[in-house]
Amino acid sequence: MVATVSLPLRAQEQRKVTPVKPATNKVLTPPKGTDEKIIEQYLTGDTLNARAQERKDSLARIYPHYPTLTELAVGLNFGDALLMAFGQKYSSFDIHATLNMWNRFQPVLVVGLGRAKETPSDMNFTYTGKLSPYFKLGANYNFLFKKEPQYQLYAGVRLGGSFFKYDITDVNIDNPYWGEYGNSFALKGVSSNALWGEFLLGLKVGIAKAWALGWEAKFHGIFKEKKVASGKPWYIPGYGTRNGNWAFGISLYYTIPLSRDSWPIIEKKK
Amino acid sequence: MVKSLKHIALLALAVCATAVAVTSCNDNCMGNSSGIPLAAFYEDGQSVSVLNLTVYGIGAPNDSAIIRNKAATQVYLPLRTSTPSCEYVLDYNTEGMPNDTITFNYDIIPYFESRECGAMYNFDIKEFAYTQNAIDSISIPNSMITNSDVVTIKIFMK
Repeated sequence: MVATVSLPLRAQEQRKVTPVKPATNKVLTPPKGTDEKIIEQYLTGDTLNARAQERKDSLARIYPHYPTLTELAVGLNFGDALLMAFGQKYSSFDIHATLNMWNRFQPVLVVGLGRAKETPSDMNFTYTGKLSPYFKLGANYNFLFKKEPQYQLYAGVRLGGSFFKYDITDVNIDNPYWGEYGNSFALKGVSSNALWGEFLLGLKVGIAKAWALGWEAKFHGIFKEKKVASGKPWYIPGYGTRNGNWAFGISLYYTIPLSRDSWPIIEKKK
Repeated sequence: MVKSLKHIALLALAVCATAVAVTSCNDNCMGNSSGIPLAAFYEDGQSVSVLNLTVYGIGAPNDSAIIRNKAATQVYLPLRTSTPSCEYVLDYNTEGMPNDTITFNYDIIPYFESRECGAMYNFDIKEFAYTQNAIDSISIPNSMITNSDVVTIKIFMK
């Protein structure tokens, strides 16, 4: 029998909860699979802390919490190398570093080099985009943040920029009405620059221990470019050709785990 | 999860293959393949057809004409690329109506339009002169002549 005496409760005094339901006198039992330490806490009567710990563990199972610095991935974009095998006349190669934070937000830095050489068979010029650098800065958001970082499906944004030079040579212009054939000119060392933005959707899949393959589909547009009296460049390093707003990339990643000990253990479904 | 990601990876490969196909396609040139002025005739602010018109350039080989004895509302007037000026004659083939002559002086500007349209010359019209037998006035709103297929010279007839 429990005797109840009404006493004024002081504000500073912490309210204690007993593991006994007053109506039934039934002892509360922790759910199945509860950690032994929590059961110990229940048995010693520290129900408040036991429940708090239980809730924390439950959340950790549903919502694994990765450390601030989860991993660093260094990637090589070789998509253009593949496309060149299919006849593409320009290429951009870049190395990108991705810092995976909480397995969710990922700041990205990209540096690369691009070049182009095209003499269309049905046209009157040769376009030579000289080997020039480019950079991109941006971030990804990993939708699979509850899963292992080995597998990622992400959306990202990039701001890209490049300073570059190009030549237009072997120009041949005929003016049949005036009987002027074989007019020629060359635009050499035309200097330009461009700033552009990208929205992208990417997929990263682990293929070996620290290695992963990644695919990216990008929708991009030019924000600003240098106005040149002799025309606009056909190819912008890191951006691609100016016709069309879509680009694709394939990358090979090497991943360096950071704070590996703080990674949550994800139970695999049987 | 891993299985579904493998499926997505296969899909990504398919997307890449599509990209390859896309890169092998080219857009068409939407403008002309060279910078060329298009002249249009107007009367009382309305587009008008000039009957029995012959247009030829002075010094063109074999006395070739752009159009000969035809009705026209518009006519292309290709500019010379070897010299920064050229003259066109508008012959109305009508008794008592003398010919008109239009003279253009311009800068020739080497220009790269695009991969599809190619390299060409643009022309920056510096000055122009004309006789006023049947022509009332001429207007060139934009002095830069590009490959755009739009009216760049407006000829107002009397």
